[in-house]
Amino acid sequence: MRVILKTKPRAKPRIPIEAEEIIPQNFLRKNDIKIFEGNKERSLDDLFFVTREGPAVSPDQVEVILTGDTGVIKRVGEYMNAGRIIIEGDIGMHCGNFMSAGEILIRGNADAWLGREMRGGRISCEGNAGHYCAAGYRGEKRGMRGGTVEVKGNAGDFCAEYLSGGEVIVHGNCGDMPGVEMRGGTLVIGGDCLRPCGNMTGGTCMVFGQARQFLPTFRRNGSQEAEYAGKRYRMNVFRGDVANRGKGTLMVRG
Amino acid sequence: MRIEDVVCSFCGCLCDDLVVEVEGTRVINVENGCTLANEKFMGDHRLEAPIRRSGGKWEKVSYEEAIAETAGILLDADRPLLYGWSGTYGEAQTIGVHLAEVLGAVIDNTSTVCHGPSIMAIQEVGHPGCTLGQVKNRADVVVYWGANPVDAHPRHMSRYTTYCDGFFVKNAFRERKVVVVDVRETESSQVADEFVKVNPGGDYAVLSALRAIVRGKRDIIPPDVEGVSREQLFRVADMCIAAKFGAFFFGVGLTMAPGKNKNIRNAIELTEELNRHTKFTISPMRGHWNVYGSNEVFTWITGYPFAVDFARGIAFYNPGETTSVDILRRGECDACLVVASDPGAHFPRACAEHLARIPTVQIDPHVNVTTHLSRIQIPVAVAGIDAEGTAYRMDGVPIRTRKLFQGRYPDDLEVLEKIYAIVKEAKG
Repeated sequence: MRVILKTKPRAKPRIPIEAEEIIPQNFLRKNDIKIFEGNKERSLDDLFFVTREGPAVSPDQVEVILTGDTGVIKRVGEYMNAGRIIIEGDIGMHCGNFMSAGEILIRGNADAWLGREMRGGRISCEGNAGHYCAAGYRGEKRGMRGGTVEVKGNAGDFCAEYLSGGEVIVHGNCGDMPGVEMRGGTLVIGGDCLRPCGNMTGGTCMVFGQARQFLPTFRRNGSQEAEYAGKRYRMNVFRGDVANRGKGTLMVRG
Repeated sequence: MRIEDVVCSFCGCLCDDLVVEVEGTRVINVENGCTLANEKFMGDHRLEAPIRRSGGKWEKVSYEEAIAETAGILLDADRPLLYGWSGTYGEAQTIGVHLAEVLGAVIDNTSTVCHGPSIMAIQEVGHPGCTLGQVKNRADVVVYWGANPVDAHPRHMSRYTTYCDGFFVKNAFRERKVVVVDVRETESSQVADEFVKVNPGGDYAVLSALRAIVRGKRDIIPPDVEGVSREQLFRVADMCIAAKFGAFFFGVGLTMAPGKNKNIRNAIELTEELNRHTKFTISPMRGHWNVYGSNEVFTWITGYPFAVDFARGIAFYNPGETTSVDILRRGECDACLVVASDPGAHFPRACAEHLARIPTVQIDPHVNVTTHLSRIQIPVAVAGIDAEGTAYRMDGVPIRTRKLFQGRYPDDLEVLEKIYAIVKEAKG
């Protein structure tokens, strides 16, 4: 089944829409999908032109396509566990929160908290991602735990904060403090970043550009080769953060 | 009339030893107060009556009219924002939270531009804090980080640290060591035993280095960390470890520096590390009078200390998303009620521009920058001068403030209760 959701014009287009019910399984089982526009509850038809094509017998066979002014729609794909979502433009905050399986493809930019505390599945963002990409919720001790987030462009500050499992790949630059409080999983940064991996206690971070304002609490631990985008690079290897337990691995291109 | 033991209503110190002389409905003299307190008590620039913008001009309206119109604006909104609250007392803040819940609004306080990051760090790793009384009586090492108490909290040093003798610190000026860490020399750094000058944005690295030193990893520290020499870092770490009782105080120089809540988390974890060797505590230098109280009140009722979003009928909290600066910058909210603060003076330009675009109502005794962005302003009594209520000191101690005279203005609670009653009736 293919479900196409095209946004309708709104009187107040900057008011955010919260749409955690836009997940493939709901289009198979649920007739009354509710979403919020500010503090008002709306039905799907109030805010979208909805087109359904073809049959499906399981959520894996459902593909949801969002088009139009989608940049202020939050929580699309939250708790998603099967199927596919394609966003033709930008997407709002919390896309793919807690998702455990399935795939989200974003052709534009993603706002903050993309793939927050994700457990599995795959998110691909062809544009840039905002702050706290693949991070945890406030006060949470573990961020993303499984799956893959791939960002073709840049990511904002605190990317992969509290990363505990899975893989985060940012092909562009990251902002300040990527991998802060990281405790597991793998973070790959194709470009530059600032102050990577503060207070990390585990996991591996690889920076193939420049790591600026490098923290003084990482201990040099030789070098090794690593592969990125089909090429092999000689990487300086550091162990840290020794301000904490110092059991993480940070590799920076030599 | 001379009134003793008056509580100051300016900064988070809530000094409770002021002596105030009142003549009619004016304060004519303040003893024991700092310059800020004197201005607060004796300032005489109150707005006379509610005003409403009409055709590019201000017109006076009755309280009933202003309150009814405010309730109407909030009821019409799809994403109202209720901001401020730190300059008023707990009872009024309570009504504010209930109002937000009924409206499905976002309610936020001034922590969003001061110590919000401190609270976020405390939520991550806890708070090894204490009261100011403990610091006064016990601390032999005091570290001010990113704070300038001489200017911002003028009596902090004389009531609790450098110049104040305590039960176990008989000669404070000689026995207490004071360290000031900042990006530039300040009046506070001039009275410090040790001034640590950090490169702007370098606090996180310096805190990490100090943590490593306290953990015994001195060998890893490079000769210079963000403008601070290795020798000075060793000296400061040794001073802290040798303390019988140490106290960190940090200000917005740390909370609003790059890294924000991670700076505070690092400072808290340094404090925890020092507690393996001695007794050390850490406390924020809360600035806006009852901002700590607004965090307390919000937390009692909603579970969250600031930036609480009731749009879905339940409380949701996510600084960066539900904080007022972010909501205004993104142009999300379509109405705003400002209570006891001045976002026009302190928020980024884009936020002020949005406040001017939407219907903004201000409840505040004085004309300020936000007045010029507002559609309606309702003047009220000043908390701690002609209105009484409960406020919290920067260390979390609640103090009852007093009404010094009966003025002619309604107080925040009275106005907010009337707005709440109209909204509640409309919502059913």
